[in-house]
Amino acid sequence: MSRIGVFVCHCGENISRTVDVERVAAYAAQLPGVAYATDYKYMCSDPGQNLLKKAVAEHQLTGIVVAACSPRMHEKTFRKAAQAAGLNPFMCDMANIREHCSWVHENRDEATAKASDIVRLMVERVKRGKVLEPITVPVTKRSLVIGGGIAGIQAALDIADAGHQVVLVEREPSIGGHMAQLSETFPTLDCSQCIMTPKMVDAANHPNITLYSWSEIESIDGYIGNFSVTIRRKARSVDEDKCTGCGVCMAKCPQKKIPNVFDRNLGLRTAIYVPFPQAVPNTPVIDREHCLKFKTGKCGLCAKACGPQAIDFEQQDQLVTEPVGAIVVATGFDLYSIDRKPEGSSIEGYGEFGYGTIPDVIDGLTFERLASASGPTGGKILRPSDGKEPKQVVFIQCVGSRAREKGISYCSKICCMYTAKHTMLYHHKVHDGRAYVFYMDARTPGKCYDEFWRRAVEEEEAVYIRGMVSRLYQRGDKVVVMGSDTLVGVQVEIEADLVVLATAVQAQPNADSLAQKLGISYDKYNFYSEAHAKLRPVECATAGIYLAGACQGPKDIPDTVSQASAAAAKVMTLFAKDQLEREPIVARVNERNCVGCFACRKVCPYGAIEEKEIRDRQGNLIRTVAHVNPGVCGGCGTCQATCPSKSVELDGYTDEQIVAMIEAL
Amino acid sequence: MKRKKMLLSNETINIGFVNKVEALSGTSVRRCFQCGKCSAGCPMASFMEHPPNRVVRLLQLGQWERILAGRSIWYCASCETCATRCPNKVNLAAIMDALRKLSWDANGPSKESFVQLANRLFIDNIRTYGRQYELRLGAVFNVKSGQFMKDLLLGPKLLSRGKLKMFHSKNRNITEIENIFTRIEEMRKKGEAP
Repeated sequence: MSRIGVFVCHCGENISRTVDVERVAAYAAQLPGVAYATDYKYMCSDPGQNLLKKAVAEHQLTGIVVAACSPRMHEKTFRKAAQAAGLNPFMCDMANIREHCSWVHENRDEATAKASDIVRLMVERVKRGKVLEPITVPVTKRSLVIGGGIAGIQAALDIADAGHQVVLVEREPSIGGHMAQLSETFPTLDCSQCIMTPKMVDAANHPNITLYSWSEIESIDGYIGNFSVTIRRKARSVDEDKCTGCGVCMAKCPQKKIPNVFDRNLGLRTAIYVPFPQAVPNTPVIDREHCLKFKTGKCGLCAKACGPQAIDFEQQDQLVTEPVGAIVVATGFDLYSIDRKPEGSSIEGYGEFGYGTIPDVIDGLTFERLASASGPTGGKILRPSDGKEPKQVVFIQCVGSRAREKGISYCSKICCMYTAKHTMLYHHKVHDGRAYVFYMDARTPGKCYDEFWRRAVEEEEAVYIRGMVSRLYQRGDKVVVMGSDTLVGVQVEIEADLVVLATAVQAQPNADSLAQKLGISYDKYNFYSEAHAKLRPVECATAGIYLAGACQGPKDIPDTVSQASAAAAKVMTLFAKDQLEREPIVARVNERNCVGCFACRKVCPYGAIEEKEIRDRQGNLIRTVAHVNPGVCGGCGTCQATCPSKSVELDGYTDEQIVAMIEAL
Repeated sequence: MKRKKMLLSNETINIGFVNKVEALSGTSVRRCFQCGKCSAGCPMASFMEHPPNRVVRLLQLGQWERILAGRSIWYCASCETCATRCPNKVNLAAIMDALRKLSWDANGPSKESFVQLANRLFIDNIRTYGRQYELRLGAVFNVKSGQFMKDLLLGPKLLSRGKLKMFHSKNRNITEIENIFTRIEEMRKKGEAP
């Protein structure tokens, strides 16, 4: 027989103003199964909690209902108090008579009646509650970091410095990501390479970091604390252990005119190449698509020239499996190609800007390569068409971004600042040139950010024009910019030598397929979703997986580094214990009833449903049923609602409890 | 007024003019971020074809002809509400002063409104009489501007109420007034006064 205690809180006046709490307590006291009911001004306060603890002992209570605020607010508080009083914490539940009642109603009688109803339901629920014990899961104290840009490097370094092993996986031949491509960085204008390359070297040399460059994630199994990751190490055709990075192979390679993607196709590279001189690891890769040896079978000059005999044309992809306990996803971003509508995309193109057809219309990242001291022009601003120094440069912001009807509704966040930076870099390099910026809003929230933008306008003579550009077209060797100044209210025309488009930041093109491997959710733009926008911004809803950098949404370098360190801190928190304790609100499969349809697996957002084989004593397979991995289950109850044979129950929210609540209504 | 398309280039952005305005007014036009607070509080804005913020905006783009061709700078009452409230301390009243001065020197893209003429006659009167002689000012203005009948019916009313004097009365210290004028002229020659 249940002996439930009901504790009705006034919440100062928050509840008692609308709800007659004494009447609710008196009502609760006469409910069947209730042994004790009372009210108090602040139930969450120390005396309030003591009142509860005392009542448990005095009235031999078996369960508790606290009629107060939302469980989000104080469920933990009261469960702790219940535990201290010797009860199982999961025998304590909240009846939310504040957010669900007093705050949203005005009529005192009706609100009191509703509060009584809510209390009655919760009493029925707690009466059917079960004693639950926390789930413990072992933790493998190694971490996987996917992506070797600044986010991945920072997270890897932080975790490694804390003494844990890290596996850092990078898709490209070198780590460094987009930051290695940048010339100088806002708002301090320090050289990106100067601050980035030391970190790249630190990451590669760290005794706790295993670096797999030119590698991709093949598959991921397991759950928090116990992942198993299979990594595809793409054939480099160069033995990393033998290669000294001398570069003779690249000098000998006869295929010298391949556009270098790292330089946004402005520069050229050989078929055996490192993407840039400061690459880490400094081991070349053979681009098999362009290599004569692979295309025609003849050549092999690099292999002949290589002193340590590191070239291996026979090398194959290798699969490596690594056990890890936590995963940091730091796969970064891509830029929107705006010339045409990408296939299968809901995002439209901007043909009116002539990107891809007018050679002197480039994007912001290409301008970074032009301005970079290690770029294809050695840091001189020279336009792509004829290599001349442009005297009039027009920058256009919000290209692709903030155009809901064209497909992207979000602000790309970094463009206002990098465009301001571009105008400065240009002004520093071409003194008699002029930079124009067409913008809709200048959005510069950040430390020293607005000051930086104003500096571009007030001291560095950038002409900012508030208004969008309608069209770009070629006239002679100029690009005509048809815009408008909405502050003056007139059309503006500029004959530009070079036009730089601040194109939208997008998710990586294969972000969705990685998310599916990881079992994490993503938004309609393929940016990865955090568990809570404000309070859990670096964690995925899937336990043990954390986010860092622009794979979650457009982010600048300071934000990215902050988030990477935050993700690393979350990993360290996880690794601080040998055993992981989780709330036992998880689904449980009734194996005798389960028909093995696995409808639950299709709907589970956490990937917690596994197959379990039921065998007889001789080991013959009888049938396969669903099994919930309690380490992964997030306790959402979707499987319970989906199961056609009613074989799944969510502990703490069983059908019996829910039906009892409905019947009590 | 027809809004002509603005062609922007190093040639059409007259930085020299902007520099003059900044030197005369002692304030920076680049500091303005176009919040529009000046226009929001300007008592004369509704009479202007370019409200105060747009005057600054045109200055930022070096579009001096557009400013001087319009009447905005002459409607400015120099009340300094704009300058007092400007978040960037852009002294717009001083800019307006500078623009009027430069308009005078440029000898009249704003002829349309006869402001130049009125101002010149006003100063000439002061120099001759030591104080204003309104009847003469009005008469000469009407003759010189070719608008003989302008405000003619207003004359008798003003006369009857003593607002206009039939005959001028000369300032007793006319020589000192003359000294002021000659001193300014000397200073101008030396480049000490604008």
